Amino acid sequence: MNKYWQIAKVRMQEDTAYSAWYWAGTVSSILRLLVIYYFWQAVYSNRSAIQDIDLETMITYIVVAMLLQGFVGGVGQDLAENIKNGNVAIELMRPYDLIYKMFAVDLGSKLMHLIRGTIPMMLVAFFFMDIPFPGSVEAWLLFIISAGLGLWIGTFFDFLVGVLAFWTVNIWGVRVLKESLVTFFSGALIPISLFPDWLRVITEFLPFQAMVYLPVSIYSGMISGTEAYLAVGLQLFWLISFYVLVRVIWAQAVKQITIFGG
Amino acid sequence: MITVENLQKEYKLVKRDPGLKGAVKSLFHRQYETKKAVKGVDFTIGQGETVGYIGANGAGKSTTIKMLTGILTPSAGKVTVNGLVPYENRQENALSIGAVFGQRTQLFWDIPVRESFNLLKHIYEIPDQEFAETVSMFTEVLNLEPLLGVPVRQLSLGQKMRCELAAAFLHRPKVVYLDEPTIGLDIAVKVRIRKFIKEMNKIWGTTVLLTTHDMQDIEEICDRIIIIDEGRILYDGGLEEIKVQFGQKRVIHFDLPELDSPFILPAPLLGMAEVLPASEGETKVSLSFDHERVKSSFVISEMMNRYDIQDLTIADPKIESIVEELYNRREQGGTYEQVLANS
Repeated sequence: MNKYWQIAKVRMQEDTAYSAWYWAGTVSSILRLLVIYYFWQAVYSNRSAIQDIDLETMITYIVVAMLLQGFVGGVGQDLAENIKNGNVAIELMRPYDLIYKMFAVDLGSKLMHLIRGTIPMMLVAFFFMDIPFPGSVEAWLLFIISAGLGLWIGTFFDFLVGVLAFWTVNIWGVRVLKESLVTFFSGALIPISLFPDWLRVITEFLPFQAMVYLPVSIYSGMISGTEAYLAVGLQLFWLISFYVLVRVIWAQAVKQITIFGG
Repeated sequence: MITVENLQKEYKLVKRDPGLKGAVKSLFHRQYETKKAVKGVDFTIGQGETVGYIGANGAGKSTTIKMLTGILTPSAGKVTVNGLVPYENRQENALSIGAVFGQRTQLFWDIPVRESFNLLKHIYEIPDQEFAETVSMFTEVLNLEPLLGVPVRQLSLGQKMRCELAAAFLHRPKVVYLDEPTIGLDIAVKVRIRKFIKEMNKIWGTTVLLTTHDMQDIEEICDRIIIIDEGRILYDGGLEEIKVQFGQKRVIHFDLPELDSPFILPAPLLGMAEVLPASEGETKVSLSFDHERVKSSFVISEMMNRYDIQDLTIADPKIESIVEELYNRREQGGTYEQVLANS
């Protein structure tokens, strides 16, 4: 276990290698937050609620969604690059499980993102925007579990997209598509409850809402009680399915390199 | 330590017709062709041996090494390294091998070398004491002290290669594969690297399998060479033996611009020297003879009596020229058996 933690630490160090870039990340996170905040203020200037969601709930939803969205990505990009330049072969020569190694790298970048992006954004959100906390201890706990599950579902999905590079070599287009699908269907842009009925039904069957929409709805109280537990159950289902899929596809990919030479 | 039996590897390559038309066609209908990179190779390498694995580009060297590390699965045949089948126990095999690929880096680009070593310590689970000893020894032998705090991306090629070597030997692996470790390096760095490899082999009995195009590497590091060509072994034996077998031969090239009739060997040299095949229209004649039986000076003086020599060169009996000769004769259409029998 220790080796994977060390790998995560090295990734954090690598992220600090370019300091200008590091601080630019912080500044741009805060700017994005402010833009979104004033945008929704403007939307609500002539009305008090959109489909029963008042301004405070909406801002809470959007801000928390934004905080979570930063963690939904993963190591797909790194993996795809490794595959493209052939370094994945060297990785296979190391005494570790490459999937765990990639997730350790991911953990490292996410911890860095937490420090560099999320915490400054949280400070701004709580001190300037008066974002409230969840209503109860139960909601707090459910939110933390749900956010953790959502984050891993996002990571696994990103990994799956990255592995595609084994077959297509260049996955730039697929990644762009993936980003927009995730941003829209995860509910990171607007709450899924605002979608038209037909689209909402489709969305409920897709895995993306488990990444952002469900945890944020628990946080903001849009989902509570039994419904919240069901939501966490659904996330667990997606998480396990994705993990199995990651393993199966990865085994195929390794076979592809070792037998066909990549 | 390493046993290889009838090892084969075939690749399936997508065949494309040239041009845009071919590219479009290949989107719908793919034709594959099979390329045999390794066609049945056998060898056994014992603990502590230093073996040079040489061959022209595309001869199948890297493919063999990849199969030994477990990155590639053979199409047929058997491989065992330290009693493990590499492609079946990849992670376990990884613990007892080290590798340097001259064309790729294994260090972490953005962090200082020292941190890379520290991470490798955890990855290979090297005990603290052992790690400290190894690092201080490497620092001295490879002169790494000034490099330890520098991020890998800022190192020169020679500096980087010294660090790569240290990284490959850090966990004291039983076997190390070095794929062109001296490519593109200046002579001073090469010397240091060779010295380091020899020393590791002496201290820890590390088995070394080295591929290179620099024959000086082979002469200084290896006691055995395996020559591979077109996926088959051409020669496998001691470095000294190949030198004895081929090295008795001396070749002298004479430049005879005045020569108008076909070249005839001077009478005293008949049966003692042979004329090597030359390309047409060349004014050069090459004589090969056994150094033990005829003195070079005798050959030269006989030639000078008979012909007007403008220039002459005595080929150097180094391993390099032996290998070159092997390749050349092979290219001129001889079979391996002939090539070896003629020598």
